[in-house]
Order: sequence, then structure tokens, then C-alpha cells
Amino acid sequence: MPECDNPLWPCAMTGAAACLAGCSGVSVVIHGSSGCYFYPSTLLHAPLHGTFILENEVIFGSEDRLLDVIGSLAGTGNRIAVITTCVPSILGEDVRAMLSPYDVLLVDSPGFSGDEEIGYAKALSLLEPKVDPDAEGINIDGACLLDPFSRGNVQEINRLLRLANVPVRTVLCDDTLKNILHPASSTMGTNADFGSGVGDYLGGTLGLRQVRTTFSRVGDLFPGTDVGPVFAEIERQEERIIYSCDKYLQRFDPPSVAIFSGASYAEFAADTLEQYLDAEIRCIGLRNHGTISRPAEYAGGLSQVRTLIETANPDLVLGSSFERSICRNRAFVGLIPPLRGDVRLAPRPLAGINGTLSFMEDVLNTCMDVKNRISHS
Amino acid sequence: MILNTSPTLSSRSGGCTLTGALSVTTHVRDAVSIIHGPKGCAHHNFSLLHATGLDNDLAVIPDLVSSALAESDIVFGGEEALARTILAVCERDVSAVFVLSTCIVDTIGDDVVAVCSREYPVPVIPISTAGFLGGNFQDGVNKALISLAALAEPTQNNGCVNFIGEMNLEYEVEENYAEIARILTLLGLTPGIRFVHNITLDEISELGAAQLNILRDPQLVPVGEYLKDRFGTPFLPSFPTGLSDTLSFIESIAGSCGIDGKRAVGIEQALQAEILADFTDLADSHAVFCGPVSDPMSSRAAQEAADALHIRVGNDQNANALPVHPVVGTAGVKRMLHRWRRSLHA
Repeated sequence: MPECDNPLWPCAMTGAAACLAGCSGVSVVIHGSSGCYFYPSTLLHAPLHGTFILENEVIFGSEDRLLDVIGSLAGTGNRIAVITTCVPSILGEDVRAMLSPYDVLLVDSPGFSGDEEIGYAKALSLLEPKVDPDAEGINIDGACLLDPFSRGNVQEINRLLRLANVPVRTVLCDDTLKNILHPASSTMGTNADFGSGVGDYLGGTLGLRQVRTTFSRVGDLFPGTDVGPVFAEIERQEERIIYSCDKYLQRFDPPSVAIFSGASYAEFAADTLEQYLDAEIRCIGLRNHGTISRPAEYAGGLSQVRTLIETANPDLVLGSSFERSICRNRAFVGLIPPLRGDVRLAPRPLAGINGTLSFMEDVLNTCMDVKNRISHS
Repeated sequence: MILNTSPTLSSRSGGCTLTGALSVTTHVRDAVSIIHGPKGCAHHNFSLLHATGLDNDLAVIPDLVSSALAESDIVFGGEEALARTILAVCERDVSAVFVLSTCIVDTIGDDVVAVCSREYPVPVIPISTAGFLGGNFQDGVNKALISLAALAEPTQNNGCVNFIGEMNLEYEVEENYAEIARILTLLGLTPGIRFVHNITLDEISELGAAQLNILRDPQLVPVGEYLKDRFGTPFLPSFPTGLSDTLSFIESIAGSCGIDGKRAVGIEQALQAEILADFTDLADSHAVFCGPVSDPMSSRAAQEAADALHIRVGNDQNANALPVHPVVGTAGVKRMLHRWRRSLHA
């Protein structure tokens, strides 16, 4: 079925904007209509600029308009990045030539070229971060302004690296442009769906197993670090998780689960729920085409999600507010954007030790709420 | 911090025609809206409509289908992808299908009207909403309302008063409706259909039966004129903004419907006096107006409330900032005054 009911994932243009808007020192210009501008603008909560082209620019050319907007941004000291949307990318104008007198980064990632991850990766590759062999510390990657857990993830991995006495060099992509262009030679991940490919990859940080493995590597590779406090904290907090999960299992059956997210978070959620709650993972619907070691299928539209939930009939659904809208009275935990309808002020992680704690806390509380509601009705 | 740092705030930033039209068509509950374009356009709008629906406690999920144009369709044309999508949607239990175009589709020259004119088992209604090529957000709203109005036939007057073009993406859309419905009840009138808010195609057939149409906003006057031409229904151009405007609004409705509005005006004046009496603690404050909008009607309503409460409003940026939002009716002013109290007592 080529058509798509209620598409659930943003386009490549939005992904490119998410990547570049995370680089402070970059002025991002969306070259297209006001409609294309407003969506990333409301979603990213970051300053964006637009050319807001009109019909006459489509007919007579958009060069004057584009140069006008770029001219108004010159002198800020920021590097300018222009992202083309669907219409300008097919107009046949040589945007690259138009921009040649200026130091402007051009990202051609129209919506029809694919999904968010494609645009994010393209924008990051065009930035061309070059590893600085003399730079101290470790990079953190996988940060994306579209991900509601991104800020929390970065804070948490920062905290753990500080605990291990390791400085953070660059956060890809939520950092100054200077840091992004000159990262260190090793990188630790928070969300592989937005992996940077920059430097040597030390491993991910989703789930306590990954945190343990990745920090072991840090201890082996970086003299002068002390990963002992990180391991001690893993042990202490894992005991608390096990205690709470065992207590839950004393009263209730393990939950059956349907997971909807990108590949990286889906794998984390499935592994964690199986490990601590003996949960039955009934289905995984992926928003993207990322790599996952479990059975999963692509579910990019609401009707596919609805069918999967109806077929799997799970106790617990993980996903976005789209899934929450159709999962009726089942327990629900937010895992991917958008998470609308909730007030979310504090940065919450999924990565690191606190990420697992926070995730399991949400799962246990929502499952208990639903069980109690059912038993009292 | 101002997040929208667009260098050129002009009519260019009037929003997307497609979004405007979808804010109307997705409120027809037994119809499906097809967005002919890449998936991203449909996602952007679905996400926005879903979010505003959640804010307004609407349990219904907008039914959008994208023709999901890919790079090859952009090169070779997307008409067959659209036809295929319409046929797939027609297999569902739907009363009508709306087809909305996107910027890219008009740029590559797809003949959407021709595809919609083919034989289908249910009405397929094209609405030209090609993003910036089609105009702005409000143009999309107006085009969709006029396209839908064309589905209704003239019918016998039922004495009701219709609501035309409510802002379905507005956070307080239900509260604003309730305020106007309250005023109509005060006059002994019956609220008619909400064109278009959470409605079925069958209900739209009652559109021409009202004795009066009330437009949400003066920008809808072309829609009001269309309805007047088609059904002979007079209209008021806007919901009321502010205290005195609400009293005039009551008089205008009474005048249009040929009834005596004096008693209703008296009751409303008493209510307004009671509300102002609850906020006398704000008197003699110094303040400055702030807010996301600076339309003259909202500013006038805010100034009127400030004058009534003896709040001195100036340009001193160090004074307490009083938020000014578009307010509807007496109830809207009351909610604004609560926010002012929060600010003045901060």
C-alpha cells in the first residue's frame, strides 16, 4: 500500500533542521513556504529562520528572496545553513551557485527524500566534523532536539562521565559549532538512530548492561579515569530496580508489551522489560529503518499501529501520544515524540543509569495504576 | 526569549493554506481528508491537529491519508498515486472524501480536479490548498468552508443561529463557543450548527436553515457573503471582544432576529459589574500590556477593562506586564483578569 494513513514520523527536512538547530553558532534558514517553516519551528523550540517563499518566487526565481534573508543574517557571526524544502529543490535553480559568494552550508533534504533520520544524517555529514587527535575527553552522540529524552540523556551521560573523571568534548548535535567541528577521537552513544559515525565508537548507554560495557571500555582505554564509582552506582541502583520489579511480580503477572519507536529505543525497552519484569514482547513497530536484533516491522502510519495493537492485545503500550490515543485503557508509557497532552518540564533521560530507573519507574507505576483501576471497577 | 526570530515578518508568515483547510475538513467526522503530496506534509498537519485535539479534550483522531509521493512521483507525476489513494479510501465507510493539494503538487502540475472528477462511489471534493501557492492559513479555512457549504441546499428556516468558522486550533475554542451559546440562550435563541466543528455531513445539510449566522472572525466575511447569497442568511461579522462589545453584540443579534434585547443587555451589564467588583484589588496598579498579539480589538478590550478597574497602563517596561490575548465575551474578559491578578500580585 503506497498511500499512508496519518503518517507518524517527520520528514527529512525536519530532521536536518533538528540537527543544525542543535549547533549554537549556526543560523538555520528553511528555504520554502511558511507551512514548512512552522512545523520544525514549533517542534524544536529553537530559533529558525525562513524564506517564506511565495508564488512569484516559484515562477520568477527565489534567488533575490534567499539572498535577502541571508543578507539580513550576515554580521551575526553565525555560520548560515540553508535547508531546501520540496518545492525549491525541484525548481531547477542552482541554489549552490547562488550561495557561492557566501560561506553558507547548503543542505538539500526535501521532505520527499525520506524521513527524519535521513535529513539529520545528511546535515551532520555536511558539517564535516573532523576529529582533533589532541582534543581531550569523549564525545556524546545521538542528541537530537526532536527527541524528548535528548537533553536528559546528555545531562545523565555528562554526570556519569564526570563521576568517572572523564571530560566531555562534544555533544553531537547539541553543542557549539566549534566543538562540533572539532570532536575528540572517541564517542559514546545515547541513541544509535542518530549516531554520528564520528571517532571510535565506545558503545551505547541505553540500559545498565550497555552502560557497564561501555564504561569498562572507557576504563581500559583512558588512563587516569576511575569508572569504579559508575559501577558502584549501577550495582546499587540495579538492586533497587530488582526489588521493585520482584515486588510487582509478587502480585501481578508480567506485562505483555507492544513497543513503537525507533530501533534503538525499542531494543532498549524490550531488553529492559524482559530482564527485570520477564515481560512478553508481543510486537515491535518501528518508526524508522534502523537496525534491531529482534523481530520487528515498520509501522509508519496510524492504521498499521492500530492493527498491531489490536492483534497483539498487549497490557502495556510504549510509544507516542498517537499510540496513547488509540490504546484505550491499556497501560501506556511515552517513548518517542510527540508526547503531547502531558506537561513535561524537567529533562528526563532514557540513557544511563537514571534513564533505566526513570523508564522502569514509569512502567511500574502505569502498570500498577491500570491493575488497580481494573480491580476497583 | 522570542523563539520565532524570522527576519521578515510579513504576509509571508500567514501560515499554510493546507493547514487552514484541514482545520475545517478534519472536523467532518464521517469524511476522510487526503493530502496529495509527500508524507511529511501529512505528518506535520496530523501532528498539529492531534496536539490541538488533545489540548481541547477531543477524543477523535483526525482521519488523514497521504498519497505519499516519493521522488519518482515528483519526476513522473503524482496523479495515479492520487487516484489509487482515493480508490483505497472509498472502500472505507465514508460519506465523502476531501482532496487537498500541497505546494509540490501544484508546482509539478498535477491536475487534481481532473482526478477527482472521475467516477467514485462517494463524493470526492477537491480543495485547492497548495501551500504558499494557494494563499495563507485563512484562505485555506475560507476555501474549505465554501467548498463544504456548496454541499448544502437551501431549506426551511428553523429559527436557529449558526456558528461559522470557529477557530478549531484555538486552545479555548469550546469555552468561546459556550460563551456565545450562553448569550444566545439569554436572548431566548437556539444555537444551530457549528459549521464546521465536530459535525457530520448530514448535519451540514441544515446549514441554510438558520435565521442568522455568526462568524468567528471578520476575516470570514467572504464566507458570510457566500452563505448570504446562497441561503439568504444575514450574518454578524465576529464574536464579541471585550465588555462593551459584548453588549453591542447582544443588541445586534436582537436587531437581526427582530426581538427585544433590552432585558438580556440588562442581565449582561449586571454580570459584568459583578465581575469587575471581584477585581477591585487590582485598582491603582501600574502596568504595561504584553502578549503575542497586538490586534486593535484585543488591545481595545484590554484597555477598556483596565480603565474600568483604574489600572494605569503605560509604556514603563519595568511595570508589571499584563498579558493581552484575544478574548471572547464577558467570560473571556474574566479569564483575562485572573491572569492579570496573577501578574500584578507576582
